[in-house]
Amino acid sequence: MGTDRWAYQSRLRRTDPLPKLALSMAALVVCLCCGSVGVGLATLIGMGALITGLGGVPLRVYLRFLSIPLAFLVIGCATMLVRSYPPDAQVLAALPLGGRLWGFDGAALAAAGRVFCTALGCVGAMYFLALSTPITDLTLCLGRLHVPRLMVELMELIYRFIFVLTETAGHIRTAQASRLGYQSAGRSLHSLGLLASTVFLRAWRKADRVYAALESRGYAGSLATLPGDYRPGRGLYLLALAAAGVQLAVFWAERRLL
Amino acid sequence: MGPAIEAKDLCYTYEDGTRALDHVTLGARRGRITGILGANGAGKSTLFLNLNGVLTPTAGEVLLDGAPVRRDRKGLTELRRRVGIVFQDPDDQLFSADVYRDVSFGAVNLGLDEGEVRRRVEDALARTGISHLRDKPTHALSFGQKKRAAIAGVLVMEPEVLILDEPTAGLDPSGVSGLLELIGRLRDAGMAVLIATHDMDLVPLCCDDAYLLGEGRVLAAGTPEELFRDPELLRENHLRLPRIAHLMDILRDRDGVDADPAAATIGAARREILRLLKEETK
Repeated sequence: MGTDRWAYQSRLRRTDPLPKLALSMAALVVCLCCGSVGVGLATLIGMGALITGLGGVPLRVYLRFLSIPLAFLVIGCATMLVRSYPPDAQVLAALPLGGRLWGFDGAALAAAGRVFCTALGCVGAMYFLALSTPITDLTLCLGRLHVPRLMVELMELIYRFIFVLTETAGHIRTAQASRLGYQSAGRSLHSLGLLASTVFLRAWRKADRVYAALESRGYAGSLATLPGDYRPGRGLYLLALAAAGVQLAVFWAERRLL
Repeated sequence: MGPAIEAKDLCYTYEDGTRALDHVTLGARRGRITGILGANGAGKSTLFLNLNGVLTPTAGEVLLDGAPVRRDRKGLTELRRRVGIVFQDPDDQLFSADVYRDVSFGAVNLGLDEGEVRRRVEDALARTGISHLRDKPTHALSFGQKKRAAIAGVLVMEPEVLILDEPTAGLDPSGVSGLLELIGRLRDAGMAVLIATHDMDLVPLCCDDAYLLGEGRVLAAGTPEELFRDPELLRENHLRLPRIAHLMDILRDRDGVDADPAAATIGAARREILRLLKEETK
C-alpha cells in the first residue's frame, strides 16, 4: 500500500486523527457542493500545500499519487465531453462522421471541466487524509465517532490480515511457479484455483489460532487497545475553517467574474 | 519455594477422541527455565493451552503457587493474567497493524487505568528492545521483530509464568542469541519460564530443568544433563542428543574414552576435554 507507507512517515502522523479527518471531509464536501473549476483547482493546490508543507511528503510523491486517478478522470471526462451534434450546430471542435458532427461545444467543455476539476479537488482532499493518517488511526477515530464497534474491529482485523494472507498467497504462488504451475493458460487457471482454495483453508485454520492467542491474552469480546500518544492538533480545525473560507471565496470570485 | 505453576494428572482429549494429554504431572519454579522437550505432536501446545486456561482439562488440575485454579470467569481471568503464552508464529498473535496498540491489548483487558497501561507498554517495549519500533506498522517488521513484539504483548500483563512455544523457530543465529539473552533476563528477574522445543542444541544452553514429553505423557524429568544420560529414550521419541553431547557419547562408546555424555555445551565440553588431556599426560 503506497499511501500507507507515506502516512507513517508524515510529520502529521502523531497528530490526533479526528481533526485530520475533519479537515479532509470539510474540504471534500465544500469542493463537491461548489462544483466549480476554480474551487476544484484551489482545493487541489491547497491540499497539495498542506500535504507537502505540513506533512513533509515530497511534492513529486504527491504528483505521482495524483497521476493514478488522473488516468481514470481523463477517460471519464473525455466520454462526457464528446457528443454528436446536427451538421449545422455551433461547435468548438468536431469531426464530421456519418452525416453528424462528433465533438464538443462550449457548454459541454464547461460541464466536463467542472466535473474534472471538482473530482481532482476531492482527490486532493482525500489524499490529505490518506498521506497523513495510517489506517489503524483512522479506524480508531471511527470508533470514537460511534461507528459500531463490531464494524471497526472487523475493519482492523481485515486490514491486519490482508498482509498476512497476501504473504501466504505469495509464498504458495512462488512454490507453484517453481514447479511450472503457470506455464500455460490451462495450467495457470488450475494452479490459481488451487491457490485460492489453499489460501481459504489456511485462513480458516489461522482464525482458530488467532482466536486462541487472543483468548490467552484475556480477550473478552472486545478488541480494546490503547493508541500511542497523539498531539491534539486543534489548529487543524482552524485550518479546516480557513480552507473552507478560501474555497468559498474562490467560488464567489468565480461567480462574479463569469 | 514451591513451583509457581503445576499440572497435576492433567488429561485432555480433543473432541475427535484424540488423547493429547495423559496424566501429565509437572511443575515450573520461579527464577528457572523449564524445558518441555517433545517431538511434533507430543502434546506440548495442548499442554500450554491448558496451563493458560484456553483449553479446559478433561481431568486433573492446574495449580498456581499450590492453589488449584477455579474454572469460573474470575479464576480464568486471574490464570491468564498470571500465565502468559507466546505462540510460535507471531502472525497468529499480532492482531493489530499498530505495534503500540497490539502490545497494549492485554493490559487494557486487565481493566487498568490509562496511566498504568502506558507505563506497562513502555516497560514491555523497553524490556524486549523494540521501543524504536512503536510507530511502525506490524507488517513492516521482520520476523525477529514480530517475535519480540509478541513477547512484549504478553509481558505487558506482567505474568509470573511465561510460556514460549518453539521460541527460536525461524530466527537467524543472532536472533536466537538475542532471544536467549532476553529469556535469561526474564528468568533472573524472578519469572518462571517454560519453553517448548525440539531444538536439542538449545536445551543445555538455557534450560535449568527439563521434562520429556511423548504421546501426551511425561516420560522423564530432571536436569537437562540427567536427560542426556539416556540417549536411547530421546531417540525413541524422535529427538536426539545435542551435537556436542553426541560427540561425547561417541567418544565414550566407540573410542572407549571416559568422556561425560552430559557435557553438552562448548564450555562443558572444553572442561571435559582438558580434564581428559590432563589425565592422559599423567
